[in-house]
Formats: sequence, C-alpha cells, structure tokens
Amino acid sequence: MSHQFYSIECIIPPHIQNNIAEKGTPEQRKKVMGSISQSAAIRAQRVLLTETKALVEPVTVGGKQRNIFNLNFGSNLPGILARSEGAPPTGDPAVDEAYEGAGATYDLYQQEYQRESIDGKGMRLDSTVHYMKGYDNAFWNGRQMVYGDGDEDLPEPQRIFNRFTIALDIIGHELTHGVTQFEAGLVYRDQSGALNESFSDVFGSLVKQRQRNQTAAEADWIIGEGLLSPNINGIGIRSMKAPGTAYNDPLLGKDPQPAHMSDYKTIDYDNGGVHINSGIPNHAFYATAMEMGGYAWQKAGQIWYVTLRDRLTSTSVFADAAQQTYLVAGNLFGGGSLEQQAVRAGWQAVGIQIDAGDSGGNGGGTGGDTGSGGGTTSPGCSTALVQLLDNVKALIENRSR
Amino acid sequence: MKISYRRTGGFAGMLISHSFDTDTLPKTDAEELVKLVSAADFFALPSKITATGADQFQYTLTVETAEQQHTLEVGETSAPENLRPLLEKLRLLARGKPDL
Repeated sequence: MSHQFYSIECIIPPHIQNNIAEKGTPEQRKKVMGSISQSAAIRAQRVLLTETKALVEPVTVGGKQRNIFNLNFGSNLPGILARSEGAPPTGDPAVDEAYEGAGATYDLYQQEYQRESIDGKGMRLDSTVHYMKGYDNAFWNGRQMVYGDGDEDLPEPQRIFNRFTIALDIIGHELTHGVTQFEAGLVYRDQSGALNESFSDVFGSLVKQRQRNQTAAEADWIIGEGLLSPNINGIGIRSMKAPGTAYNDPLLGKDPQPAHMSDYKTIDYDNGGVHINSGIPNHAFYATAMEMGGYAWQKAGQIWYVTLRDRLTSTSVFADAAQQTYLVAGNLFGGGSLEQQAVRAGWQAVGIQIDAGDSGGNGGGTGGDTGSGGGTTSPGCSTALVQLLDNVKALIENRSR
Repeated sequence: MKISYRRTGGFAGMLISHSFDTDTLPKTDAEELVKLVSAADFFALPSKITATGADQFQYTLTVETAEQQHTLEVGETSAPENLRPLLEKLRLLARGKPDL
C-alpha cells in the first residue's frame, strides 16, 4: 500500500542533515534535523556544485582511459606521458603498476557498481609516477593520482619505504579520493576526514580482494602490503581486520589506529587524525563483510558505495555513515534482512549503535514495514518530498535560463 | 639559523618533526639550507598556504635568524615553486627521524 511511497520519501532521511549540526548540542541537532526542506535545498546545491566541479575537470573521455606520466623525480605535474590506454607494458614497474592498478580500480567501479570512472562521467584517469626524490608518499591532488618511489635514493639496508605503486590497494585508495570528491565531498578533517580516508581504504582493499578473487574470510585486509622494506617490522600501513597492528618498529613506532570508539583519538596533527581514526569505520566495514560472508565487494561494497554516492554530505560523521549504511542495506536487501542486520552488527563491533526504529525497508519483504510502523515516521516527510521536487524543478529552470 | 620542521599527513599519516641548527649541521648542508631559505624568499611568504586533495603532506616550518623569525604552514602541492627545493632538502634531512 503506502509502503513503497514511504520508502521513496525517505530517500532523504532526517539524518542527512547532520552536516548543519555537526558541532551543535543534541538539542540543536534535533532542531536542525527537523527541517527537511533545508536538507533538500542543500542537496540541490550540492548537485549543482558537483556538476560545476565536473565542468572544470579538464578531460572527460568516456570508457576506460588511462594516462601514466613520468616525472623523473621532478615536481612539476604531470610530467612526460609514459603509457596511454592500450599501449603495451613499458618495463618500468612504477608506470606499469600505476596503469594496471588504475584499470583494476576502474573495473571494480564500472563492473560492480556501474560507475563510469572517478566523476561517473568517464573522466580520464591520470597518474604520475617517480614524483620527486626520496618521496615516501602517494596522494590525490584534486585532479590526478601521484606516486613517489619511497627511499629509492638510499642504499637498500637504509630503506624504510618501497615505491608506492607496489600495493594495488594504494592505487584504489587514491582513485577513491577522487570518487569521494565528486560524491559526498567529505571534508578532509576530523570525523568527516576519517570517513573520507576509510572509504578510500575500503574500496582500495576491495580492488585487491576482487583481483585476487578472495572472500572476506580469505582476504588479509591489509592496506599497503609490501610498501614497508624488509628492514621494517610491519606487514603494511593499516589493518582493517585488526587496526593498530600493521607495524611496530623502532624507527616507525607502532601503528596508532584505534578499532573502537572508546579509543577514538583527539589529535592536533594529520587534519585531526584522519589516517588514524579511520581505523574505526574501517573495522566496521570489515566486521560487516565478515558477518555477511562471501565476496566483500558484492553486498557490503554495494551498500558502502551507494551510501557514499547518495547519502553522505561534506560534514557527515561516523554516526551518519552508520545510520545511512543501515538504511541503504534496508533499501537494497529489505528491512530486517540479514544484510541489514550485518551492517548493524558491524557498527556495533566498533561501539556505534544504530537507531533501528527506521529500517528503511522497501516494503518487499515481511520486514519491509518496520520503518513505516516505527515511531520515527515524520508527518513532514511527504511535504519534504514535495519541497525537494520543487527545489529540483527550480534548479533546472534556473540552469536552463 | 635555526629551522624547525614538522611534516604531517600523507598516505601513511605519520608525523615527522626535527629541528636543525646551521651551527651544528655539516657545513655543506648548512650552506645549502641558508641558500634555499633565501631562494624561497621565506620571510616574505604568508603564514598559511593550504592545498586541496587528499593524502598530501603538510609542512610546518619555522625559520629563525638573529634578525627575524617566520612560521609557514603549507600543503604539498600549494607550495610555491621556489620553496619546493627547501622542502625537499628538509624532508630528506629529516627522513628516518619520526616523532614517536
């Protein structure tokens, strides 16, 4: 009956409004969350912003188009074209790993989630390798991936880092920063920044698991495997399975990642610890995927992807990600489904409780009406949908003028 | 001349910080640093230049001479071109000296 209509109007649930109320008191949050029309306006604005961003992107080609540039240890991006789409291997491991890795990442997004490249519109995948001398990092500069060679300039016994293209998940991680930029746009600071980092680790790991054809139980869930030289006591940079255990070495210290909200770290560096507190949502994804079983990129990955694409905003926090993945699981697999229960258990494992009053079911199954029957049904929900449609209509009219 | 160097962020999220004093550094390193600070026109730079994107290193540099002192916070790709050689030199000098 009204089930399907209910599920449509709850495409924009109140929780998405947390972006306005991130720093507010619980009372303030409640107040802002009551105003769904604001959410619709913000969302419409974000659509516009996303499209504007896409317009300034230099190259949108469609299909899988990779360009790998070589900087020969300089710093002026992007460098000299070393391998373009369809060209044979060059024999330079950094060039070829960047090429293959970008391809494997593109394939995950395209074949599993029907996403066309970073921007969803076929943006060309540009990567630069051999960035600067002794450069122990890889990054996303807002337009392209960039990889250093670690400690290539030092004698082997003194090296800490290998080249950053060595681990496929690092490549998937960097490329996913691009996807996040075009979708949720999570601000790179504190909890929203840690979520940004976590989504990169999640899809980076899924690229690797898919290439190895590993189930959640078979995967190692290590980020940056092979990046640390044999001189260092560590298996990688982060562990999604057991955050805080990836390395422990006199030179590098100990992996600082927490695995539970009770160990959340308030720190004044790394943009408020975006690479550190990401251990919490990372572990929630791992726990969810293990609970579901099978290949993690299929169900758990799908839920996380749709959440990143449709549900989160620039200032979403961990609790928003938890609630939204739960609602998306309800939409995709049914309210009260095993998948939805797995999401709830996954977040519970890291100390984040989900309000189960609204299960977001699509009404298709027996548990599908748990949402509409719950006490959280807002009388303003259908009004909000009308307002959203009005906003979208106004937006389209404005743009066509 | 004294230089305090702090690097945060990056894919690995590791914190590295170190202080350098041209009176105690090897002569070639000391001379190069003085030259690079001058080439960067360091004291004329603003105090903060932020970068977009993700996983970029962020550097905080304080340079102190008898006459003046200045602190700059800068992201990897937002660094002016004439500052990059100084950042690279400090990055290589501070390598393997994490702040544990």
